[in-house]
Amino acid sequence: MLSKITVSPAPHISQKLSTQRVMGDVIIGLLPAMAAAIWFFRLQAALVILTCVTACMASEWICGVIRKKENSLWDLSAVVAGLILAFSLPPAIPLWAAVIGSAFAIVICKMLFGGLGANIFNPAMAARAFLTASFGMLMTTWTVPATVDSAMPHISATNTATVTQATPLAWAKSAIKGKAEVTEANGLLKNTFWGNVGGCLGETSSLALLIGGVYLLIRRTITFHIPAAVLIAAGVFAAVFYFVNPDKYSDPLLHLFGGGMLICAFFIATDPVTAPLSIKGMWIFGAGAGALIMLIRLAGEYPEGVMYAILIMNAVTPLIDRACKLVPAGGKPHVQ
Amino acid sequence: MVLGSGFYVLSFHENDKLNISKGLNKMSKDVSLGKTFFAGIWDSNPVLRLLLGMCPTLAVTAAVKPALTMGLSVVFVLLFSNIVVSLLRHQLKPHLRILMFTLTIATAVTIADLYLKAFMPEMSASLGPYIPLIIVNCIIIGRAEACASKNGLIVSIIDALGMGAGFTITLCVLAAIREVLATGNIFEITVMPGSFTPWAAMGMPVGAFITLGLILGAVNIISKKTA
Amino acid sequence: MSNNETKNPILFFMQESWLLLVSAILFGCLLACLSAAWQPKIIQNEIDKFNALAGGLLSEAKGFQNAGESISVDIGKGKTYSVRVKKGTDAAGNLVGWAFVCEGSGFADKIKLVVATDAAFEKLAGFGVLSSNETPGFGDKITIKDGFYQSQFKGAPVTELELTKVGDAETIDSRIVAISGATVTSEAVVKTFNTFLLPIKEAMAEQGLL
Repeated sequence: MLSKITVSPAPHISQKLSTQRVMGDVIIGLLPAMAAAIWFFRLQAALVILTCVTACMASEWICGVIRKKENSLWDLSAVVAGLILAFSLPPAIPLWAAVIGSAFAIVICKMLFGGLGANIFNPAMAARAFLTASFGMLMTTWTVPATVDSAMPHISATNTATVTQATPLAWAKSAIKGKAEVTEANGLLKNTFWGNVGGCLGETSSLALLIGGVYLLIRRTITFHIPAAVLIAAGVFAAVFYFVNPDKYSDPLLHLFGGGMLICAFFIATDPVTAPLSIKGMWIFGAGAGALIMLIRLAGEYPEGVMYAILIMNAVTPLIDRACKLVPAGGKPHVQ
Repeated sequence: MVLGSGFYVLSFHENDKLNISKGLNKMSKDVSLGKTFFAGIWDSNPVLRLLLGMCPTLAVTAAVKPALTMGLSVVFVLLFSNIVVSLLRHQLKPHLRILMFTLTIATAVTIADLYLKAFMPEMSASLGPYIPLIIVNCIIIGRAEACASKNGLIVSIIDALGMGAGFTITLCVLAAIREVLATGNIFEITVMPGSFTPWAAMGMPVGAFITLGLILGAVNIISKKTA
Repeated sequence: MSNNETKNPILFFMQESWLLLVSAILFGCLLACLSAAWQPKIIQNEIDKFNALAGGLLSEAKGFQNAGESISVDIGKGKTYSVRVKKGTDAAGNLVGWAFVCEGSGFADKIKLVVATDAAFEKLAGFGVLSSNETPGFGDKITIKDGFYQSQFKGAPVTELELTKVGDAETIDSRIVAISGATVTSEAVVKTFNTFLLPIKEAMAEQGLL
């Protein structure tokens, strides 16, 4: 009898805000990007996405059986983890690697920490880090989108230039190192916005990600604080470098639209489990992530920094939460 | 001798505290040699149950060969220190005992290090500083303190062998898992099919932490079920 | 008890620590004996390792002897590294090439190389890795004997080497193609060559070896 009554402190809001609804919204928000991925990379993309989602759900179910816990498949969090992992993989990734990544995300990064809500790190990003450490070659082989004409510029170590293509950020990195003209990177800006470039599955089309992000904001599944903080911090960081030396550093817009910046701002950094709870904390978290991404992109060895930036900020999230404790209404209670 | 006797009481108090594990307490009462030996392998396995000696466990287990060399070096050092400490246990001044233990262990480690440098130079180069670091391995000083300084020669030898075996077996199991996944080989013999793509991460520190964590979890589950 | 307090401090010290002192002396003697017995073997091992690596690079060489004075090379940041060049000779005692040990900073740790050149110090005979701790699967490809990376140095001219990402690894020239995914390590090796090769050549010419 009691289990049917929800006991909670005021305010009493009748709207049902369940994990399932939030995750369902995130999935709907990711649909435009999924459509773009399948449009640009065709069957490859569809297979990778399908594999990741299926493997994540299977891992979640097996863990539930082993732990003798209620089946947690229908909170849809495994689907979201699978989608985000798939979106952060290169299209040509072998499917067995996608399965290993999915299992790692769910079993090691989520279930071993105690399941949804108890994981410290974003499962998809931690799994991607593991895949990058394990299969570095596979994780940096970029496929040319099916819609690209062969006249586009290519960078390649070998003569198989038709198979692989450098991402806009790889161009930007080459420009920083003085091995390519910065104008070539900036020339990719338009294609980067539409998604007509090489890159991870879900990060190519900025337009699709923006549509999904706006949907989440309208549905109030996420608040604007983290995305705004990420984009402002990264934009300011990139703009400062650009105005100091435009011959070396590429357009800040390329950095905002290129790589995983938008998917990070709207879908990864806003993960309610691994981001801070308070508004102030969200600003700090987002700004830290944005600044770290740009620091890695502009001064680091890697062309892209979203994964490590998110993992580092995940690690400091408990500290941020501690520093930004909410003061209860009426002021701090007096401790005797 | 006010000062001296003060230390005496204090140090024996410390001794009691050091016997933190159940396995350790049992040991000094129960002198059954078989039990003493197997305690080191399972009940109070230094790595899996006491979580001692984590540094070599994580650092040299990328492949079975260095792990085995490390394990056998620890067996030698443990045996040497347990024998010497056990023989001298009645002469030990309680407040100087740690100095004596360290001196003994350092001697044994230097012997092991010289031996490896002379007869297994490649292994010595790949183990690098981890052989000299056995000096600060808690397993050895822990056994000297908890077992050898209170028990006779035979018990101390069996204890050293059991603990050493437990350490070596654990390291080899951990290393075998990591070597198979990171290179497709075990003991430098290829076991995986040619199409296998090595998981480079398993050869890196991250692989050591994850594998050790999973093994510890599995051991906890098994011992809970059998308890 | 009151007697003890007036006791001779030296006697008290001896009473307490005789065991430590005696064992320290005994253990010290034990180590000294073992060290004396094994030290020649250890030194021989190091020479063997160098000879095996350098001999693999200079196939005609039967032995290596120290040549000239040791050369101190400026490795930047005000530090110097002392190099002892060795002369490789064939069975008849003719000069067939030179070999030396040098080191540079890699991705994870220092990379120690054995570098060999021909008799005129004009062309490289390649390099071997004495010790390195580079990332498995990426940077550690520099240690593969006759691998894609090492073989680019065989026959390359003794000049400033240049690292490229794009290029033909088959052509032997001063352009070295980086290992994909291990740019830092590839750069480190090339930088080590650039730091050591020309200063050593200059110093050897000064010493009248060339």
